[in-house]
Amino acid sequence: MKVTRRGFLKTAGLTVAGMAATRWDIDAAVHEPWLNSATKNELADIAINLAKKLGATYGDIRINRYRTERISTRERQVQGVALNQTFGFGVRVLVKGSWGFAASSEVTAREVQRVTREAVEIAKANASRQRKPVQFLDVPGVKANWGSQFEQDPFDISIEQKIETLMKINEAALLVSGVAFVNSSMAWVNEQKFYASTDGSRIEQYIIRGQPGFTVTAVDRAAGDFQTRSSLGGPQGMGYEYVRNHDWVKEAAQAGEEAVMKLKAKPVEPGKYDLVLHPSHLWLTIHESVGHSTELDRALWWEANYAGTSFITPDKTGKLQFGSKMVNFFADRTQPAGLATVGYDDEGVAGQKWYLVKDGVFVDWQTTRDLAPLIGRKQSYGCLHAQSWSDVPFPRMPNVSLEPGKGDASLDQIVSGVDKGILIYGNGSFSIDQQRYNFQFGGQTFWEIKQGKITGMLRDVAYQSRTTDFWNSCDGLGGQSTYALGGALNDGKGEPSQSNAVSHGCPAARFRKVNVLNTDSKGGAATAGAHVC
Amino acid sequence: MLTEREAKKICDTLLKLTKADDAVVSVRESVQSNQRFAANAFTTNGSSRERSFSVTMWIDKRQGSASGTEFDEAALRRAVEQAEHLAKLSPPDVEYLPTLGPQKYKPVKGYAGKTAELSPAWRAKQIGRILDECEDAKVVGAGLFRSGAFLSASATRNGNFEFERSTSADLSITARTPDGMSSGYGLHDHFDVEKLDVGGVSRRAIKKALTGQDAQKLAPGIYPVILEPQAVSDILGFFNGAFNARNADEGRSPMSAPGGKTQLGQAVFDSKINFYSDPWHPELPGSQSAQDGLPAEKLYLVRGGVVENLITSRFWAQKTGKQPTPGPVNSILESTGPTNSLDEMIAASDRALLVTRLWYIRMVSPRTQLLTGLTRDGVWLVENGKIRNPVRNFRFNQSVMQMLAPGNVEMIGKPVRTGGLFPALKLKEFTFSSESEAV
Repeated sequence: MKVTRRGFLKTAGLTVAGMAATRWDIDAAVHEPWLNSATKNELADIAINLAKKLGATYGDIRINRYRTERISTRERQVQGVALNQTFGFGVRVLVKGSWGFAASSEVTAREVQRVTREAVEIAKANASRQRKPVQFLDVPGVKANWGSQFEQDPFDISIEQKIETLMKINEAALLVSGVAFVNSSMAWVNEQKFYASTDGSRIEQYIIRGQPGFTVTAVDRAAGDFQTRSSLGGPQGMGYEYVRNHDWVKEAAQAGEEAVMKLKAKPVEPGKYDLVLHPSHLWLTIHESVGHSTELDRALWWEANYAGTSFITPDKTGKLQFGSKMVNFFADRTQPAGLATVGYDDEGVAGQKWYLVKDGVFVDWQTTRDLAPLIGRKQSYGCLHAQSWSDVPFPRMPNVSLEPGKGDASLDQIVSGVDKGILIYGNGSFSIDQQRYNFQFGGQTFWEIKQGKITGMLRDVAYQSRTTDFWNSCDGLGGQSTYALGGALNDGKGEPSQSNAVSHGCPAARFRKVNVLNTDSKGGAATAGAHVC
Repeated sequence: MLTEREAKKICDTLLKLTKADDAVVSVRESVQSNQRFAANAFTTNGSSRERSFSVTMWIDKRQGSASGTEFDEAALRRAVEQAEHLAKLSPPDVEYLPTLGPQKYKPVKGYAGKTAELSPAWRAKQIGRILDECEDAKVVGAGLFRSGAFLSASATRNGNFEFERSTSADLSITARTPDGMSSGYGLHDHFDVEKLDVGGVSRRAIKKALTGQDAQKLAPGIYPVILEPQAVSDILGFFNGAFNARNADEGRSPMSAPGGKTQLGQAVFDSKINFYSDPWHPELPGSQSAQDGLPAEKLYLVRGGVVENLITSRFWAQKTGKQPTPGPVNSILESTGPTNSLDEMIAASDRALLVTRLWYIRMVSPRTQLLTGLTRDGVWLVENGKIRNPVRNFRFNQSVMQMLAPGNVEMIGKPVRTGGLFPALKLKEFTFSSESEAV
């Protein structure tokens, strides 16, 4: 959605007629000078001109404001209501093939000069010992205003209304016999971003994301056991309409029933099962095994010290049979409601869509302006992002999604093709190795499938597999009607670690003969067939 | 950075601006810088200065909080008004307790001036040397050199004020052989950069990469293990969280016991284990203040294998008639008796796996503290008291409660600084559930 300058200011918090004033209305009025493009452009000119004068072949400045609102509750009480904001700028320069980045929360012309000089000093210090000068793609300058698509700005909704909704969620869960505790919360994020570069770009963006959620706990004190069930609705790049359109109260009651049911559910027998994975679960498996393995910086060992590398190497592009022929993954920074959806990335490249895996074959990477040239590409896919004005931007994941099947198979139809299997909803424990081969995932609820029918609940389930074995075992995809978007606000990567918000869309999907564990460690070994060596 | 006097002035201004019944305000400042390197070249870096404040207040026991990074009086006033606005809209905070009155703090020595003033040129020189060493050894180096100075001040409506400064520096390096078949890792951190063992970190990472080549496949299963200090730090880094008293009382913790009881006073762990927090430890200074500004004290969670304390919040202490817990503010695991070196642990092993580091650790079952994760950057098979050969990585599924249970801890090393202060451990059993081909 393109927004005008006037619309941008209005959306950014100026009082909407007929609506009670929120704190952000007060805030925006006081900070009108910093919402003024002219002022930001003046600061940008200072940074850009000074960087060039000091020898930078490229330079950018990001002047950003981040607002977050979080309300947390437990049972019948509010635990906290917090409104936080952080405002500042960061300057990035490329000098003699080395990067320099510096940032400050003091947004003044004098500080912009000091920080720009510091960024150049860092770059020059490194350049004298640099082994491999950075290669950097030129892009045309862009002048644009862009805003997330949303119906209702959550920062315009009163705190009372939000608390009332959370209390209804809690009450619905507590009405279920056997439920002992419930925690619920709402978190809203607003990014107001300004970017200017030596390319001539001047870009303003207004981004909204939100995460309502809850966890219900049932306790069996006599047995010393407890089980939880968290909400299946994850964060979305949506406004307050997300709260209105998803029946959170109904889901809380269902979650209460299921948490109690989990206490008495049948422990899973370890072994090989066919799995049917609901989108509320599968998004996380996609994130870990597909999203991260197709990051080019990992493949080039740039993340070797922390997040790790990738089992995919550039020479496997167009050759690796990543999954079965029905498997198509696309990256998309334009996806509606996507958490990683933006108009432009943090180096002025427009959001776009492209295939990572086509007909089961790995075909492409996630790239930035300094990654793309290293594999002979002439354009970036726009994957550079920083979590804040104070952090250096680096390659981050776009929304990565699995295309639905060509027919319109329902969840029931996918289940009907299973003789011995498990249907999994929601994300639980998750872990994957540093090259993205070996993973283990839990879930929220587990349902036994026998001869194509769901026969009851299981507990203590986790599955382990190897990325390409797993995706090549996929032989059933639900249709568009089963497709849904999951995601996370806090995907960690980089050093010092930064968070990235990212979504993953997918249909329900079926996988054959996957190794399932029983995670109850009462007996000592937590796995199928564990033996003493 | 702000002086104590300047920080107090901001706190006083915030308190003066609020008309609330009770309030706690804080000011924080950080000056941080970092430099990354990878593929034997300098990559990204960052230097940032950030000053922020927060205010939490109660009006008729209704709570509201706000924070910001702008410090002109209008911005401070606005944040206070925002918090007041939220407090008026919120229902009463049933867990409200009055903020603390004046407290006495015993200062912690965790600030080193040189750490706060590292120049980009000095850092570039250090990393240049590391890259030279990697190139000479024909390995590919990646890593992070980070340092920072931090300041925090807080004040309450009831008269308490505290001010604290600290510094930190850390260096981590991963060395990989060019064929991608072996990897080694080293990390060291300290509040004083002059005590950072830069050469030792790179030597360790390079040596592990070179000696970890030709790793053999080995079947997963339950093995005796020797966990190096980094691996112990990785798996116990979040263990403090298991000691929450309220969760234990509510029946949703590994410290809960059947029948609504807790494990307090029980010999849950091996008798050789002490697990504690010490704000004034010279190698691992913590903070002078614990929860809500209570003066921190040395605190044993486990002494001689017995659960000596659970962590009780001020609210839960009042509700249950107990004392609030003055910590923990750091994590130290040590032996109650003599320690053993890594070489002694190897020599005493008929068959064991020597593990460098653990990675991507996640909770599978909070009730049993069952964790899953993977080995990384070097695993070796030990047989007949000697390191025999490197082996490929594994996924583990291991309960921490069982890992430290009576009889499972055979030897304990001297604690070293790896995030917290953790020693090497020789354990009788550790469960590896599958093989990982990752390097």
